[in-house]
Amino acid sequence: MSVINVTAGSQAILTLGNTAPLAVPGVTNGLVVPLVQDITISATPGTVRYSTLDSSSSSAFTTVNENEISFNMLVDEQTFFGNAALTNNSVAELGLLTTSINKTEIFFSVAFEGDTSGDYYVSGKGFIGGLAPTASIDQAVWISPGSVTVNQELSKNTV
Amino acid sequence: MAIRDDLITGLTTRLASSSVSVSTELPFFSGDIPLYQKNMKKVYLDEQQVDITEVYNTLDRGDVSQTETVINAYLCVDAKNSLTDIASIINLIQSERTQLTDNNQFIREVDLTTDFVDDKVVYTFEYRFIAI
Repeated sequence: MSVINVTAGSQAILTLGNTAPLAVPGVTNGLVVPLVQDITISATPGTVRYSTLDSSSSSAFTTVNENEISFNMLVDEQTFFGNAALTNNSVAELGLLTTSINKTEIFFSVAFEGDTSGDYYVSGKGFIGGLAPTASIDQAVWISPGSVTVNQELSKNTV
Repeated sequence: MAIRDDLITGLTTRLASSSVSVSTELPFFSGDIPLYQKNMKKVYLDEQQVDITEVYNTLDRGDVSQTETVINAYLCVDAKNSLTDIASIINLIQSERTQLTDNNQFIREVDLTTDFVDDKVVYTFEYRFIAI
């Protein structure tokens, strides 16, 4: 048993791509979102509770899973607005903002332990949203939350 | 260029036509007396104190730090016969904080304290700059 320590700066990695292979951690041309402050993977099964006359506690059954990736980041110019030279990956080429505006489905992975062989990561596909960049003179830099609304299931993989 | 050097350059220009001048020396003690008390009507700037702290930590260690620089400036004048342009001099020394051209500085403050030593008045200006 051991905790996964992320203080080395190379464990928790959010990678985006317009195809599933481009979103694997460590892959060439994958868009690694830099300057992420925190990241949350929400894997929530929908549930319905009901009560019956013969029980003093409620019962439940599950419906569908609702999955989401949410994060906060310092805004990186190239990641947010795109780099026209990165034509191998349209998410990197167009940037997070335009990909969100276009409502383009993207593929993602969240590495837990890094991008070396055998490291675990969670992957899926979905839509970028939740961008709300803010700036103030005290804050000094642009900061934005972001999310990926997952379409269908998350999956567990290793690099 | 260090902030202290910028301040000395700026103050030297802006105070050129006033009753005081600006020294490039540090305000060390000569005997038991600090230099600014020995050489009145001369502005002395102390060594700058720099404090670097992390403002934002990120998972890829692309951390953003801020640098806080504090510099004290001293001016000593005769308390009995105050300079006729002392108000203007104080105003120029205080406003010098806004003359620096480092765009990364988002806080530029100055505090003024006044002390009496025998028949002298010592003005201490504490400049505080915070930059990303």
